[in-house]
Amino acid sequence: MILPYFIIIPLLAAFIISLIAGKKDNWAVILSVIASSALLVLSLFSFISMKEETITYSMSAWSIPYGIVLVQDALTSFILVMVSIISFTSLIFSIQYIRHLSMDWKYYSLFMLLVTGMNGVIITGDFFNLYVFMEIALFSAFALVAYGSRAEEFEAAFKYAVMGSVSSFLILVGIAVVYSATSTLTMAKVAQILPTLNNEIVLWVGAIFMAGFGLKAASMPFHAWLPDAHSSAPAPISSMLSGVLIKALGIYVMIRIFYNVFNAPEVFMKIFLVLGTISILIGVFLAIGQWDMKRLLAYHSISQIGYILLGMGIATPLGILGAVFHLFNHAIFKSLLFYNAGSVEMALGTRDLRKMGNLMKLLPTTSQTSLIASLSISGIPPFNGFFSKLIIIIAALQAGLPWYALFAVIGSLLTLASFMKVQRYGFKGETVIETAENKIGWRMNFAMITLAVLCVVTSLMVVPGIQEVTLDPVVKVIANKTEYIQLVLGGLNGN
Amino acid sequence: MIINELLLFLILPLAVGFVNLFLPVVLRKVLTFLVLTFGLVMVYLFYQRLTDSFAYFNVVIFSLNQIGLFIVAFIQILSFIILIFSVNGLDKYSEKRFFFLYPVTVSFCNAVVLSEHALSFLIFWGLSGLTLYLFATMGKTHDAPKAAKKTFIIIGGSDAFLLMGFVIMWLISPSTGWSLNNPQIPLQGEYAHIAFICLLIAAFAKAGAFPFHTWVPDFSQNSPVESAAFLPASLDKLLGIFLLAKMLTSLFVVYPLMNVILISIGALTVIVSVMMAMIQNNAYRFLGYCAVSQVGYMVMGIASGSVIAFAGGLFHMINHTIYKSNLFLSFGSVEKRTGTAELDYLGGLGNNMPLTFLMALIGGLSVSGIPPFNGFFSKWMIYQGLIEKTAILDSGFQLWLLACIIIAIFGSALTLANIMKFLHATFLGRRPEIYKDIKEAPVNQWFSNGLLSTLCILFGIMAVALPLKMFIYPVVEASGMNIPTFVGLYNPLIIILLLIIAFLVGILIYGLTAKVRYDDVYVGGMPALEKFRIAGTEFYNEVRNFTLLKSIYNYAEKKYFDLYEMGREFTFSFSGYLQKAHPGQLQLYVLYMVIGFLIIMLVV
Repeated sequence: MILPYFIIIPLLAAFIISLIAGKKDNWAVILSVIASSALLVLSLFSFISMKEETITYSMSAWSIPYGIVLVQDALTSFILVMVSIISFTSLIFSIQYIRHLSMDWKYYSLFMLLVTGMNGVIITGDFFNLYVFMEIALFSAFALVAYGSRAEEFEAAFKYAVMGSVSSFLILVGIAVVYSATSTLTMAKVAQILPTLNNEIVLWVGAIFMAGFGLKAASMPFHAWLPDAHSSAPAPISSMLSGVLIKALGIYVMIRIFYNVFNAPEVFMKIFLVLGTISILIGVFLAIGQWDMKRLLAYHSISQIGYILLGMGIATPLGILGAVFHLFNHAIFKSLLFYNAGSVEMALGTRDLRKMGNLMKLLPTTSQTSLIASLSISGIPPFNGFFSKLIIIIAALQAGLPWYALFAVIGSLLTLASFMKVQRYGFKGETVIETAENKIGWRMNFAMITLAVLCVVTSLMVVPGIQEVTLDPVVKVIANKTEYIQLVLGGLNGN
Repeated sequence: MIINELLLFLILPLAVGFVNLFLPVVLRKVLTFLVLTFGLVMVYLFYQRLTDSFAYFNVVIFSLNQIGLFIVAFIQILSFIILIFSVNGLDKYSEKRFFFLYPVTVSFCNAVVLSEHALSFLIFWGLSGLTLYLFATMGKTHDAPKAAKKTFIIIGGSDAFLLMGFVIMWLISPSTGWSLNNPQIPLQGEYAHIAFICLLIAAFAKAGAFPFHTWVPDFSQNSPVESAAFLPASLDKLLGIFLLAKMLTSLFVVYPLMNVILISIGALTVIVSVMMAMIQNNAYRFLGYCAVSQVGYMVMGIASGSVIAFAGGLFHMINHTIYKSNLFLSFGSVEKRTGTAELDYLGGLGNNMPLTFLMALIGGLSVSGIPPFNGFFSKWMIYQGLIEKTAILDSGFQLWLLACIIIAIFGSALTLANIMKFLHATFLGRRPEIYKDIKEAPVNQWFSNGLLSTLCILFGIMAVALPLKMFIYPVVEASGMNIPTFVGLYNPLIIILLLIIAFLVGILIYGLTAKVRYDDVYVGGMPALEKFRIAGTEFYNEVRNFTLLKSIYNYAEKKYFDLYEMGREFTFSFSGYLQKAHPGQLQLYVLYMVIGFLIIMLVV
């Protein structure tokens, strides 16, 4: 069984790093790179090999409802692949970037804990276990946001911690309500029992979860912590937070709960639609006025999360396909954009777009990859963002929601406008900048180039033939809703 | 999947573009020439044997029909001629990018025209917009980054509307699905209208018609001249008008009122941009506005619903691409020699660059619609069609349409006036001292302009025999219309004869009368200094100061009529309000969250 290794490997790495790393970070780097490449290989392997089956694993062989169960289906493996790719490239990017801040092993230890938390949330099939892993991820995220140790970073981390705790409290209340109503914490079991109970419970719990996980996903109006936290963190951490954390802790859990456990109640789908659309528009309007590059990117995360929520809210297989695809794509291009911002910040010592200029000669890799990422996020063919937005817009129109489609189009237009602003001031400005404070090393360039290539390559996932083996199984897991119960419990009985 | 000949239009130039990245300078140019020559040969072969299509997974992706072939033909012809101009004159750094982007753009434009599947149309349309942006970022002027941004926001943004339009079409007409092959959707109900307007936005933005034209002058002013001649003057016009023609002939079935509305937009485009061109002092910007005004004629012709005007619109489109790229390139030669595009600083270069002057003159006369050049013939066809159209309309519409025609003719006269200013400011008048050593443009440049000028003359004199019979009539027939009959009397040969007689008489008078006395120029009893020079840019300052026009011009210069600028203004003010709501106070943020939570609870 490879399932537990997704948790064991990073957790072990985190502790071993703290044990064996001396004052320097060499061992920490080596260990964490080994761990994350192992995770990358494992996740890719499991995604390719398992296709449409569902694998379950009971921890310590305690059977349900007493024990904790880990579940892996296509959706899980898909998100795991996403997390592994981004954490691997972020780690590679970090090596030089973090050394420029401090030579410390703690960063890598925290990083591995962050990965542990996310992987745990993704593969667990148990509500309380989910809560625990979520807190692990969150606490390491708080620490990593404050890693630069400047006043504004502490302030951001503090805000993040307060808001995060409020939402965690809500989630805990939700879990308590679920437990008191169903006497179990295993998701599949809960899903089985819920329809036999009063429908009001689903509504109550759903509303609480919507707010709680809505904050983790940073959808409007629960978004306000994100711009501070994501723009203050070191660049590779920003990309982890914006690229994968808000999705693993927010979107993924919402999909699991609202589709697989609650059977996609219509009222919540409507809320998804509305929250998604508001997030798209308000997020992009807030973003376009920013001059701090990372802050601008952070606001765009809100807006892009809106697209994913919109796709989920449409609730047709096509809408889900768009959402899932956009989820993956957003992880890639947003992480890349944060790497770009980090690389510029390192080279010029500023994040202010007005102080940048023509960087084409000084930072060719950064400029070229930032162009690719900007085009991807703005939905320009042939980059991946185009296809996922296209699918979402088609799905919205097909489902008879023309207004939502129109808002998505307007959001896309404004996204384009604000990334044209980034390009115009940040990379193709009038003033030619000749010298850099720091040089950008090959590892940072490697991370950027890898993701830039992925921006193009992942668009192939919509090609008929490839789509059937990549995205379709994931969509099937979501669209089949509570079939999850049989898949999980059936698998357990055979164990 | 079999390799299909049609795919070569896409694959070959694309491959050449990427290969060019790794080739030495000379090979790069040779290869680009080869691939474009091959394109021309293919066009010739396809004219012998037309029907062809390429399917993938049983869905037709590319297909070739008459109008497609016509557009593809002119994409090849123009890119070939403009390439001749572009072989020297770019600096080393730009050249590498240029020879990557150039064939790639040709490839994408070909693919747009060949696409029968809406999604592939959309993708290649977007890609051709992307290369336009990449060309714009090559600009060296101070405002180039700004212009590139504006260009791509308008062009890329219009793609989003195109997407929406196609999806709605797909929903309205499930039987044709994504196929763009003649779905003939009747323009009824709000959905069809939304789709129509979405597509119209895309076509207008690409072709540069009012009110989405504002990127054209900015792009022309700030990008390398080769790219200005290549894209906004030629290929983008072909694509934009191609989409418009396709919409009106095969995608939608429009009603007469819509025709009239479109004609009015065309007339508005003509007059607005010709008036704006009048006050420009930068030559490229001036040519950009001029190019916009010509789009107005094409829109009027194609949207009129009359066969002869439709044919005239198509004809005007190719004429425009020819003479406008000629003008851009001729002036490009001047700018490359003198280093400035500001008309205020130029003048009297006709003696230094006689060939370039001649080419620019031919281009200028064509654009102003002077017989016997090509521009006259196509405009004349458009007017004929429109007048014919008035006969079958209600009296209210009739009056309206007549007003549009008058505006268009007036616009044509103003164009002539503008071109006179342009030619005078560049080639005539007194030459500033610093330009006394300016030489004629390099051979390849005037040769390329010469080819374009020859086409201007040929297409004017042999309009019916050459372009109409070879290219345009087949398109008209394939669109289900009859070949038009001309109502007026116009024979280019007679005009030429008259012109020759007039010239002979002129020479005769010149020879018979007394010798002309040449003398120095004096101002106030002093020899005229260079600062008394009349640059020509002041010609129409009077117009600018007319009571009513003055305020309109002032507003226009403050960009009140620019949709892009207005949108920008609105976006930033709205964004400002939203930012005020995010002051960084934790209490406030928690409050938002609580409110959100309560609302969700209430809803549930």
